[in-house]
Amino acid sequence: MPKILIPTPLRQYAGNQSEVEVSGATVGELLDALSRQHAELRRHLYSDQGKLRSFVNVYVNDEDIRHLEKEATPVGAQDTISIVPSIAGGATAPAETASLSKEEILRYSRHLIIPEIGMEGQLKLKQAKVLLIGAGGLGSPLGLYLAAAGVGRIGLVDFDVVDFTNLQRQVIHSTADVGRKKLDSAIESMTAINPHVTLDRFDTALTSENALEILKDYDMVVDGTDNFPTRYLVNDACVLTGKPNVYGSIFRFEGQATVFAYQGGPCYRCLYPEPPPPGLVPSCAEGGVLGILPGLIGLVQATEAVKLITGIGEPLVGRLLLYDALAMRFRELKLRRDPECPVCGDHPTVRQLIDYHQFCGVPRGGQAPAGVKEGEMDVTELKAKIDRGDRFTLVDVRETHEFQICRIPGSVLIPLGELARRTGELDPAAEIVVHCKMGGRSAKAVEFLKKSGFGNVSNLAGGILAWSDKVDPRVPKY
Amino acid sequence: MIRIEKEAWTVIVGHARGAYPDECCGAMLGVPGLVSIAVPLENAYHGSQKDRYEIRPEDLLAVDRQARSEGRELIGIYHSHPDCDAYFSATDLKNSCPWYSFVVVSIREGRFANAKSFRPNADQTVAEPEDLAYPDLEESACQRS
Repeated sequence: MPKILIPTPLRQYAGNQSEVEVSGATVGELLDALSRQHAELRRHLYSDQGKLRSFVNVYVNDEDIRHLEKEATPVGAQDTISIVPSIAGGATAPAETASLSKEEILRYSRHLIIPEIGMEGQLKLKQAKVLLIGAGGLGSPLGLYLAAAGVGRIGLVDFDVVDFTNLQRQVIHSTADVGRKKLDSAIESMTAINPHVTLDRFDTALTSENALEILKDYDMVVDGTDNFPTRYLVNDACVLTGKPNVYGSIFRFEGQATVFAYQGGPCYRCLYPEPPPPGLVPSCAEGGVLGILPGLIGLVQATEAVKLITGIGEPLVGRLLLYDALAMRFRELKLRRDPECPVCGDHPTVRQLIDYHQFCGVPRGGQAPAGVKEGEMDVTELKAKIDRGDRFTLVDVRETHEFQICRIPGSVLIPLGELARRTGELDPAAEIVVHCKMGGRSAKAVEFLKKSGFGNVSNLAGGILAWSDKVDPRVPKY
Repeated sequence: MIRIEKEAWTVIVGHARGAYPDECCGAMLGVPGLVSIAVPLENAYHGSQKDRYEIRPEDLLAVDRQARSEGRELIGIYHSHPDCDAYFSATDLKNSCPWYSFVVVSIREGRFANAKSFRPNADQTVAEPEDLAYPDLEESACQRS
């Protein structure tokens, strides 16, 4: 007959035997027979609901029955059954985080009365540590709502300063905050909403050098970044450290969100193994964004963060949620982990953080580097040319709706997308200066015109924004 | 009441100090009420072990078998709390089992501070303190709590 080894402390309930032989064909039958023979044993092994207690593991010889057929696991005459408790624990945090004060109970009362959250979920939120990358469009709703919901510790990474152009969507900052560090302004708003939240301040760009150190103390990362190098960096750092990456991105009227690197699910690189060619996907500064959009996508991210923390619901894993504000439609794409993924695949080739600016082909710092390069013209030189009455053509390659916001006097509008079929309007022998908003699109136009046989073409460094800064402050910036 | 003999106690305190600032864990063997051997086990917790520990059931099974073959019994589990009191935390309680004595060793700044023993109930809702006696090593007086 198979025998069951009795743990020392339970022998008193098993007639002081260290081993008991019982008959039965499965583990369930054996344990049932055992607890019928020794009724007192039953309550030590089974809960009142008749289930094996959570700490009870049963082994048939060397195999955990959870990896076999659980209680239906067949047992032979020669087999030995062991009852082994699962044991864990830890000092956890100081007493104050392990409970809610009277004021907190009142504050979180609408959470506490939802059965799925309750005291247990609220304490999980209180003990959660979330790292938020970026205090901008997505970071604003994320920071405000995660703080309000009672996430105990939130780390904020940002190095930027509040700008007037942020206010249309970055609701964590107010008009009076323009010129202040986004970190200062965001932390002030979050503390005002919930003084119980501990906020960690990282006044820096996230880099390959500091990412792992910054991530180390957090349970998950919420990505509110606006550029590809940081997005790949966040992804790889999350995969390497085994932390979920709650992702969101926005452009004009469309957004997407999902949870990457969570429990064997796909990562950002499974979806986009390579970054797009530099300049192909415009940033919000270049392409614009509906101010409300980051509110919606950021709150999808916040919802997922809260679900992961409390362990309720079905996480947005393996599904890319696509949102179209104009059609007001949500769609879902299935995502799968790619076994060939260089980071999270079966044979990863990326085992440490790399140079993500190089990977994405963009210069460090994101925007065009300062200073005037070969083939570029400074705005003050353009002003001098205009004042001298030089003969040249100033081509504005921005979009019509941008031209309506502001323009440099005397410029001709040929949007970049129309340039190829409108080169006939330009004189190949004439001097041409091309400009756009910041200098990126005009650089492409210059390259194209040179290839098309225009010999004397230059790019206005810094675009119309530099013109507004250095030449004519009456020209509005946007 | 549980008493820990000097040899076992030296192993436990040494293990806890060596693992500092992480938590350590291990098994205590002997006869009911008296620990004569301490077996350090690997802290199998995934993630920061500064305030968490986990014992693999396989490891505990191996210790239990070894003990049985030598005529000893598994009677308790020890773990350390670095820079924290020797109390039975909510995490400890939730992941405990009522069959054994749980000795918690407080280590502060790498040095032994104090230790206490607890017996959790089957529903993992309460842990009763139990009298604990351990010998005086270089820096602690014999204590009971």
